[in-house]
Amino acid sequence: MSTEPFKNVRLLPQTNQLLGLYTIIRDKNTARPNFVFYADRIIRLLVEEGLNYLPVQSAEVETITGEKFEGCDFLGKICGVSIVRAGESMEQGLRDCCRSVRIGKILIQRDEETAQPKLFFEKLPADIANRFVFLLDPMLATGGSAIMATDVLIKRGVKPERIIFLNLVCSKDGVDKYHAAFPDVKIVTGAIDKGLDDNKYLRPGLGDFGDRYYCM
Amino acid sequence: MSETHYQPVLDDKLEDLPSTGRGHSETPVLHRRSSSVSSLKSEGFQYIPPWTTPYVIGIGGPSGSGKTSVAAKIVSSINVPWTVLVSLDNFYKPLTPEERKEAFQNNYDFDHPSAIDLDLAYKCISSLKAGKKTSIPVYSFVEHNRVPNKSINIYGASVIVLEGIYALHDKRLLDLMDLKIYVDADLDVCLARRLSRDIVSRGRELQGCLLQWEKFVKPNAARYVKNTMESADAIIPSLTDSTVAVELLINHIKSKLQEKSEGHLRELIKLGSYGSKPIHEISSVHELEKTNQVRSIMTMLLDKTLKQDDFVFYFDRIATILLSKVLDHLPVSQRTTIETPSGSVVEDAPQCNFDQVTAINLIRSGDCFVASLKHTIPDIPLGKLLIQSDSQTGEPQLHCEFLPPNIHKYETVLLVEGQIISGAAMIMAVQVLLDHGVPMERIKIVVYLATELGVRRIMNGFRRKVEVFAGAIVKKEDIHSNSWAKSRFVDSKYFGC
Repeated sequence: MSTEPFKNVRLLPQTNQLLGLYTIIRDKNTARPNFVFYADRIIRLLVEEGLNYLPVQSAEVETITGEKFEGCDFLGKICGVSIVRAGESMEQGLRDCCRSVRIGKILIQRDEETAQPKLFFEKLPADIANRFVFLLDPMLATGGSAIMATDVLIKRGVKPERIIFLNLVCSKDGVDKYHAAFPDVKIVTGAIDKGLDDNKYLRPGLGDFGDRYYCM
Repeated sequence: MSETHYQPVLDDKLEDLPSTGRGHSETPVLHRRSSSVSSLKSEGFQYIPPWTTPYVIGIGGPSGSGKTSVAAKIVSSINVPWTVLVSLDNFYKPLTPEERKEAFQNNYDFDHPSAIDLDLAYKCISSLKAGKKTSIPVYSFVEHNRVPNKSINIYGASVIVLEGIYALHDKRLLDLMDLKIYVDADLDVCLARRLSRDIVSRGRELQGCLLQWEKFVKPNAARYVKNTMESADAIIPSLTDSTVAVELLINHIKSKLQEKSEGHLRELIKLGSYGSKPIHEISSVHELEKTNQVRSIMTMLLDKTLKQDDFVFYFDRIATILLSKVLDHLPVSQRTTIETPSGSVVEDAPQCNFDQVTAINLIRSGDCFVASLKHTIPDIPLGKLLIQSDSQTGEPQLHCEFLPPNIHKYETVLLVEGQIISGAAMIMAVQVLLDHGVPMERIKIVVYLATELGVRRIMNGFRRKVEVFAGAIVKKEDIHSNSWAKSRFVDSKYFGC
């Protein structure tokens, strides 16, 4: 379901509801309780969409009437990896769908000296190489930290085609840069914004997601 | 309600019934329709709920003849939910201050036909007969006036018993009645009953009561009440024990009600039997796309070995997906200009009024959606309807309704149920909303599991104007090998009983 020129990007259907939800979370006058509630709604939609990428096998169950039902169940193990701090806001959404999911964390910050992103901390499930990974980061602007986080995952043995990157708002530049590095990673997003401003903020974006979700 | 056991609506009695397949179809049905219903009929409207053809019983006779006890006996014996007893006493005209003064001096003629607002009584009974929500005034015998700001609201009556001295007096009221009963009694018996009632229950004095009897009650009884006997279908004789007569009447009423309920069922069965357009091609029917998620959750929910807490977890998940799908169809209410915290301006940003959505759950399977509704729209106003079927006839019956105030003002009204099997309860629920002024186009039915037959009935009943959002629809040709779709398991599994 990739949308050219955004290969391997799944953009959620732009329904009235979804556009209405984005209007709420982009508006600077939206108070934090509403921001959290409606951001969580979008996160839930992203998670449900992302889970559709997992492979299934056919399965037969016995129903209450004794008849057999030919359905399916999921194959393979999953885990979540959030990019601290904003990505952690998406953990609950994943947990709401997969109750006992393991969640790893990666902290990346901009190095003051080099102005480049720098890996400060990582804590990942030991068997992550055998899992499908949901990478969680709400904003994909320049793609710098997402690329570094994905690098960490691949170095730990995760196959790129088994990574599903969930994000609320991205820019075309960010997607292009990210996919130049990892063409096989699937991105599930709800909005593709016009571009970046001089401060490398998404335009129109929604401000600093972590601040709005946790503090403001 | 004490003797008959009610059960969740359904369904086996309605399911797949060929219209000639049951014995009762040979019985001729006297199905009365009021004029306001036939106007809907001409628009191609198919469903006639039982309360748009309520069975109206009038009980008249002189004061103190025992009308009230006959009425009470009938109401308790026929055992039909939403049997409404209306007393003509409620329709006494409010008195002017001068008249009230006379009334306190026992000098006002309460027993003349003109003391009762028969126009208003007619208006109320014909409104009830048309299935509308109706307010009936409350009269105070102490104040001799209508109790201000107080009225009895009645909706959805399937049997109306109108009782009063002049119940059989007005030609217009007589025309609304299916059965007219005159309760006769010797006037001295009437006087004795009247005295004990007026003195004990209404706080009057003996002297005044006797005066009133001689001056007004007795002459009026002879002059106006007695001859209403001519309009009666049945007269309860003036005997000390009228049990046999009342029982005969009750049996008659029961057989009439049974015919009526069979007619209602037949109509419901008929609704499912036509329409050749494939269900998935009807634009007002939406089924969740069978993604890996949707299929795997359904597989788990159908697995009879799934534990209750897992069932609740996965049902909440699929319910949230389904509700989100419904909200995708919300209209854009307005466009606005907003500014983001980083200073970008977005023009014409679409807005949806999530607070203009309300949900009405059908007890009990609709209640499985409560958690997901709260997750989807904060503080969503919730209403409830209890519709059950009579265990003997299978006819759906409305037992109670709690709806948010001003429900007709909401932009979207979700009607929520876990499973639709025959569709009978849902059709009745839609009708309740229509009767409360909700436009058909604003009603969205949300259901996890539905049979094609049930969905088709709803489509046929409401000209495809009511939208259905289903998690899964089991097609007609598949139903025999998937009979779980005809078994009400979702709410039992969700609530664990």
